Amino acid sequence: MLGWKLLFHIGNFSRLEVWSRQPKADSSLDGRGEWGSVFARIYRHEKDMATQIVRREEEVATLIAAGQALTDGVVLLDENYQIIFCNTTAEMQLGLVIHSDRGQPIINLVRQPEFVDYLQAGDFSRPLTMRFERNEDRVLSIHVLPYSDSRRLMQVKDVTQTDRLDRMRRDFVANVSHELRTPLTVLSGFLETLQEFEVDRDERSRYLALMSEQSSRMLSIVQDLLTLSSIESAPPPDTEPVDMISLLDKLRRDAEALSAGRHSIVVESDGQGDLRGSEPELVSAFTNLVANAVRYTPAGGTIRLSWKAGLQGAEFAVQDTGIGIDSKHIPRLTERFYRVDRGRSRDAGGTGLGLAIVKHSLSRHQAQLEIKSTPGVGSRFAAKFPASRVAGIQ
Amino acid sequence: MNETQHVSSQFDEDLSLLRTHVLQMGGLVETQVSAAIDAYTTGEISSVKTIVDTDRKVNELEKAIDDDCAHIIAKRQPAASDLRLVLGISKIVTDLERAGDEAKKIAKGVRRIYESGHLPSQFGVGIRHLAEAALTMVRQALDAFARLDTAQATSVIRADSDVDTEFKSIIRQLITHMMEDPRTITTAIDIISIARAIERIGDHAKNVSEQVVFIVDGRDIRHTGKEAIK
Repeated sequence: MLGWKLLFHIGNFSRLEVWSRQPKADSSLDGRGEWGSVFARIYRHEKDMATQIVRREEEVATLIAAGQALTDGVVLLDENYQIIFCNTTAEMQLGLVIHSDRGQPIINLVRQPEFVDYLQAGDFSRPLTMRFERNEDRVLSIHVLPYSDSRRLMQVKDVTQTDRLDRMRRDFVANVSHELRTPLTVLSGFLETLQEFEVDRDERSRYLALMSEQSSRMLSIVQDLLTLSSIESAPPPDTEPVDMISLLDKLRRDAEALSAGRHSIVVESDGQGDLRGSEPELVSAFTNLVANAVRYTPAGGTIRLSWKAGLQGAEFAVQDTGIGIDSKHIPRLTERFYRVDRGRSRDAGGTGLGLAIVKHSLSRHQAQLEIKSTPGVGSRFAAKFPASRVAGIQ
Repeated sequence: MNETQHVSSQFDEDLSLLRTHVLQMGGLVETQVSAAIDAYTTGEISSVKTIVDTDRKVNELEKAIDDDCAHIIAKRQPAASDLRLVLGISKIVTDLERAGDEAKKIAKGVRRIYESGHLPSQFGVGIRHLAEAALTMVRQALDAFARLDTAQATSVIRADSDVDTEFKSIIRQLITHMMEDPRTITTAIDIISIARAIERIGDHAKNVSEQVVFIVDGRDIRHTGKEAIK
């Protein structure tokens, strides 16, 4: 009797023993007699835990997925500024690799002194805006927010574009005022002289000539500004074909007049195809390109106008053998009043708005302005039009 | 038992702080190099003074880190990988300091060129490309140190020969310029010294990477040729 009971307990115990080596909710655990209810409770507890873990894991995964979906970079830091988590945006912005960098102090990897100083100063009332050297000089705005006691959430925004727009707007206002003030200063200077002093006839007419020169400068700046704003607000250009043969002929005559025999002007065209668009806008854009080429090419140089149209689209290009442009200026050339060399371009009679007008008129015709240049060798400005803007090609 | 655990975790903290200090010094050197190159491309020589002043900070950091290394060796007598870390760091900071010196040399060369009224722009493209490659090497060497990543370190070591080749081709180009037009010699010599400084920065980055391999694997791969780098 006693022996039988002992055997019963040993049997139950060994079943529990086997199960407890690998407690699983799906392999069942059943006991006999009074062991049964004990086993059932253990088994139910195990099962509850397992479902709870699954649910928690799902919750964590959803939270991480939400973090990944953010378009801003997010980095979670512990009290020693060691990385706990970051999303893919932050990985790309800051050059982090989360699976190897967890637990690493963030200043070991984002080492730019401005950032290190900002974290160490510990004053997070204002965001830090910095040019991040390691990522092609993107401008990042970094907010550090405290959460759960001493942890920190770092939010990283890429503000390169806004920063650039801000700078352009500031530059524009400063430039307009500057460009208009220079001729005004000259005008008011001469006016004062004429009011206060007796000047002889010759001197007087010399002053007046200079004054009218300056006032026409101002007029042309204002004219260009108006052109720009009218292009901006005008309805989309029409699609009537513009006769390219006569347009090229007009451009050649303009160039020859402007050059006054100092350059040789070559036109390369097979006379194929016409452009669809607004004739005045195209003429003003192309004339601007031609005038620039004449202006910045020393005497004896060659200016080549070319027109090529095909089924893929068309290209109008002006190539010169002029002074050329350093590559660092090229991306900013079409900004209003951007000048490579302030003194020189004003002497040459530019308003600083020519290429801005060109770019605007071209983009209204869905065309791209492509600029290639080598300092000392020459430049090539090409307007590339899509096939939809080309007429008369079979 | 409790006592030793406390001491060793304090020791770990010391080591991790030491590493962070090295990386901060490295960050400063990175900025110095890129500021020097910016001065070269933009011609804004007002930043030269800042670069020269900041170099003093780099030197101070080198001294402070060296002191820390000596302290740790004397007080903790580290062994095995910890010892390698401390020894490696004391070599790494020497290289970083020298790279900082080269950045200063570049800045001063830029000032000489622009102050004499010349423009280095006709040689500009090659130099900038060279500088970008060297700067990337420094950056990746420091990343390799932060992550103790030998794969990254060996890729930096391999990149060094590209920088060397590019340096030689710039020199050849400059020689042609000088032969064609002797008036360019003064500027060209300054540009050669800048190119040389950039090439040296690449060498220092390579040395840092070699120390990373030493710290992680305990292998000394200096002066062993390409076969030793796996």
